Amino acid sequence: MRNLLFLFLLLSFSAYSQEKYTISGYVKSATGGEELIGATVSVPDLATGVSTNVYGYYALTLPAGTYKIRYSYLGYTDVIKEVNLKEDIQLSIELNETVNELETVEITSEGANKNVESVEMSVNKIDSKTIKKIPALLGEADVVKSVLLLPGVSTVGEGSTGFNVRGGGIDQNLVLLDEAPVYNSSHLFGFFSVFNPDAVKNVSLVKGGIAPQYGGRLSSILDIRMKEGNKKEFHGSGGVGVIFSRLSLEGPIKKDKASFLIAGRRSYADVMAKPFLSSDLSGSKFYFYDLTAKVNWSMNEKNRFYLSGYFGRDIFGAGFLFNWGNATTTARWNHIFNDRLFMNLTGYYSDYDYSFGVDGDSEDDFEWSSSVVSYSLKPDFSYYLNNKNTLKFGGQSIYYDFKPAEAKFASDGRTNDISQPEKFAIENGLYIQNEQKVGARIKLLYGLRWSHFSYLGEGEKQVYNDTVPGIRKTLVSSEKYDQYESIASYNNFEPRLSINYSLTEVSSLKASYNRMSQYLHLISNTVASTPVDLWLPTTNNLKPQIADQIAVGYFRNFSNNAFEASAEVFVKDFQNQVDYIDNADIFFNDELEGDLLSGDGRAYGLELFIKKNKGALTGWVSYTLSRSERKVNGINKDDWYPTRFDRLHNLSVVSAYQLNDKWGFSANFVYSTGTPATFPTNRYEIQGIVVPHNYDQSRNNYRIPAYHRLDISATLTPRKNKDRRWQGEWVFSVYNVYSRRNPYSIFFEQDENDPNMTNAIRYSVIGSFVPAVSYNFNF
Amino acid sequence: MMRTDKILILFSLMCSLFMISCEDEIDVDLDERPNQLVVDAFLTNDSSIQTVRLTTSAPYFLNEPTKGAQGATVKVIGPNISYTFSDQGDGNYNYDPSTNGPIDSTGFTYRLELVYEGNTYSASSLLNPVPTIDTIISVFEEEELGSEAGYYAQFFATDFAGRKDYYWIKAFKNGIDVRPDQPSSLILAEDGAFGGDGADGFVFILPLRAAITNDDEPFAAGDICKVELLSLNEDAFEFLDQVTIQANNGGLFSTPPANIKSNIKDASGNLQEEVLGVFSLSSISTFSTQIKP
Repeated sequence: MRNLLFLFLLLSFSAYSQEKYTISGYVKSATGGEELIGATVSVPDLATGVSTNVYGYYALTLPAGTYKIRYSYLGYTDVIKEVNLKEDIQLSIELNETVNELETVEITSEGANKNVESVEMSVNKIDSKTIKKIPALLGEADVVKSVLLLPGVSTVGEGSTGFNVRGGGIDQNLVLLDEAPVYNSSHLFGFFSVFNPDAVKNVSLVKGGIAPQYGGRLSSILDIRMKEGNKKEFHGSGGVGVIFSRLSLEGPIKKDKASFLIAGRRSYADVMAKPFLSSDLSGSKFYFYDLTAKVNWSMNEKNRFYLSGYFGRDIFGAGFLFNWGNATTTARWNHIFNDRLFMNLTGYYSDYDYSFGVDGDSEDDFEWSSSVVSYSLKPDFSYYLNNKNTLKFGGQSIYYDFKPAEAKFASDGRTNDISQPEKFAIENGLYIQNEQKVGARIKLLYGLRWSHFSYLGEGEKQVYNDTVPGIRKTLVSSEKYDQYESIASYNNFEPRLSINYSLTEVSSLKASYNRMSQYLHLISNTVASTPVDLWLPTTNNLKPQIADQIAVGYFRNFSNNAFEASAEVFVKDFQNQVDYIDNADIFFNDELEGDLLSGDGRAYGLELFIKKNKGALTGWVSYTLSRSERKVNGINKDDWYPTRFDRLHNLSVVSAYQLNDKWGFSANFVYSTGTPATFPTNRYEIQGIVVPHNYDQSRNNYRIPAYHRLDISATLTPRKNKDRRWQGEWVFSVYNVYSRRNPYSIFFEQDENDPNMTNAIRYSVIGSFVPAVSYNFNF
Repeated sequence: MMRTDKILILFSLMCSLFMISCEDEIDVDLDERPNQLVVDAFLTNDSSIQTVRLTTSAPYFLNEPTKGAQGATVKVIGPNISYTFSDQGDGNYNYDPSTNGPIDSTGFTYRLELVYEGNTYSASSLLNPVPTIDTIISVFEEEELGSEAGYYAQFFATDFAGRKDYYWIKAFKNGIDVRPDQPSSLILAEDGAFGGDGADGFVFILPLRAAITNDDEPFAAGDICKVELLSLNEDAFEFLDQVTIQANNGGLFSTPPANIKSNIKDASGNLQEEVLGVFSLSSISTFSTQIKP
């Protein structure tokens, strides 16, 4: 592969280096010095152009000559520069934010028409401004809850962790915070996500046509980029809400060279509840917090450094202590080798862990902790071959350390260590991709990712007997492996291809194919994932998950790009999906793999999306018609069954209306088909207990009623704000306006008073409207 | 002292402070499917009347006691002896140990033989030993979150070392189950703990010892606290463990509902209807005490 690369480079130099020159640099915001992602750099005379990468860098290679170059970004005033290109030029540009506030409220963070012109499809982007406008539960703007309003995304229900993309499990989303994976994105089980919207710059969800530079998960990449911090002046922002209070500070360390951002949140339910708690609970703890920080330093035009980190925890305690959280650290180095070759080198550390313990004495005690830690190094290169080809290549290496359980207990003075052995693994990837323009109408992105995974010692290779699927497998032998010795290893080639065929200036047809492979598995047998669920590596028994996806779409913009619309269909095929035998034992089970099943999956659907970007009224309508199914031998009589997050119809309407400079209003409405559930057909009695029984052994044979909900909010910006530094706003919101008791699940139980009676119980996580008020400020 | 349901209480407290989560009864139409024979045969080695109950399953919302299955022949085969259970006409089949003695050959694998409507079914259960209960202690505790004021009792017993054991712990207050309104909240143990292999030979861990008290209605001075410790086979343990899960499997963290595996086999090998339920033979040890102020 490396030889191939050099060949490419050589070819490019010999073919183009004589008569063409490159203009390159960064596009930044003049207000805060923040780099602009996806800004358009175009040459109107040649009808050609590029956009800036995720670091705001661009490079444009043109024949020698004099050109007018236009830099544009929505919400900013265009800058046109005339350049005489007779040598390579570096030109970094700062754009000014458009001042006219009312008419140009824009909710996209990209160049106009980019959705039609670019080769990428099945991608949705939201910036933090939009996230903050969406009415949210208890007024807390939330990244993951906003993602749920996008086409192709569903969830098992309110309060559950994570999200499901195009029929994929919650563990099939690579959630990246400044390139470091976040293993559990939830606070308070799933009511809030861990990302502080004050520290988030933009969010991009890639559901299909996934470029070779990404790998490791089957269904989506949720790429969350943190703000850099203002390089010109000191600012702060924050808010006081019902759940959290927030504060973030940013400013230059050295003007235009280095800046910082630090943002924190803490819930104060415990503080507010204190007066109501009885004395025995006064020592109880229940709160969560997170801290996000970032510094960046532009050493010179060729070298930039970024260091960012996240640390958050949820803590519950009262006679016991239960806490969980993520910690991530990302260090990045952007280096420009020459005008055409851009490198980003990322190193990250990511840790998710939880622990549980009781306030016992030495006589009787229980302590349990678990973690998954990963370390990674990831070089990525962009080579701007010419204005028709952008080549990217790179690789990644990740080392994993899994601690399924470190635990000990004491009973009546005697202790025992019941820890489970650590597991280790290494994952490697190499990729090369080219984005190519062919003629005036066709753009291609094609490439290949090679991934490799090795389950490493020190550990055990367990071999299980074959049984009838669905019955617990028993261990027949196990073999010890030394440190770093490979116990099992796998390779996968993942071809990726995307095509954009431009029909007119405002419409295009796109198609893509991608194969993805995934070597990590979230072992969770509950409807909603819990904080104690285990991440485990692929082993000799647990095979890598693989998915193939084909998507086709039509993209069209209307009314001078005020409206963007798209229609996409997708088909997805999954292999080696993890499932569980009935009554599987997930925790403290040394022979867990004997309880796991493996099956196939399929998903297909239609996604319609229309978004209004300009004017006083902005927002979008998203509708998804889809199916998501699994087929696992040993479940549902070996036949296909719908997944727990299968929802045939899924509609979201998101709107924001700016009435005047004082009042703004937002509303969203969601409707989705109820999720499937397994209901009993019969019952029987054992020892006076009524036991439900499903005669057909079917899985997900019923559907719970549909989910729908309306949320509204109003934002009041006092007029006295105008000329002062302190800017405040009040947000009033109501979640679930018409108090619908949306069922999360329906379950069956014996009546407490009459043991002969059995009841169906509807469980609603939120059974009423939830009003909230919060105050946000910045200075 | 740890109360295992405190996490849930705190979580719901947390939720209800800001949100209103709720549960309510609704009407659901369920498919009608055929009924099956159900065997409820939990026998012990003591000298009380032993009952095997045969019933048929019913549509889920039948909402009346399930019907007894009559006209079966029920036998338990022991070492050179066979115990016949006589049909009481209501689905109960009884054996009185005062006739042929208790079923008490520890270490022997007993077989249940059952003929019903021309089909023969069988199941086996090894009679495991059970440790003695050393003592029951009790302490007065003030009201706490999720627990009332009263006497909180603990029993002490030690798991047999060097072997895998399964137990069912039953607790009574003045002769009545301590949790009469929660029939499915069984106390089950694997060696000296809830599960896994770590507690072999241990004194039963604190949450098990303390589970004999109902936090909603702890003991009062003068109450009689009785604890029964029963040995189980692995299949009977798994069965009961699943009963506790499947009988109340709702909420955020429920698992996919699953049928419970029976240990009753079709002895004739014909393709017959699957039989539900379980045959289990337990050794039992008992300890009873009066709660003293």
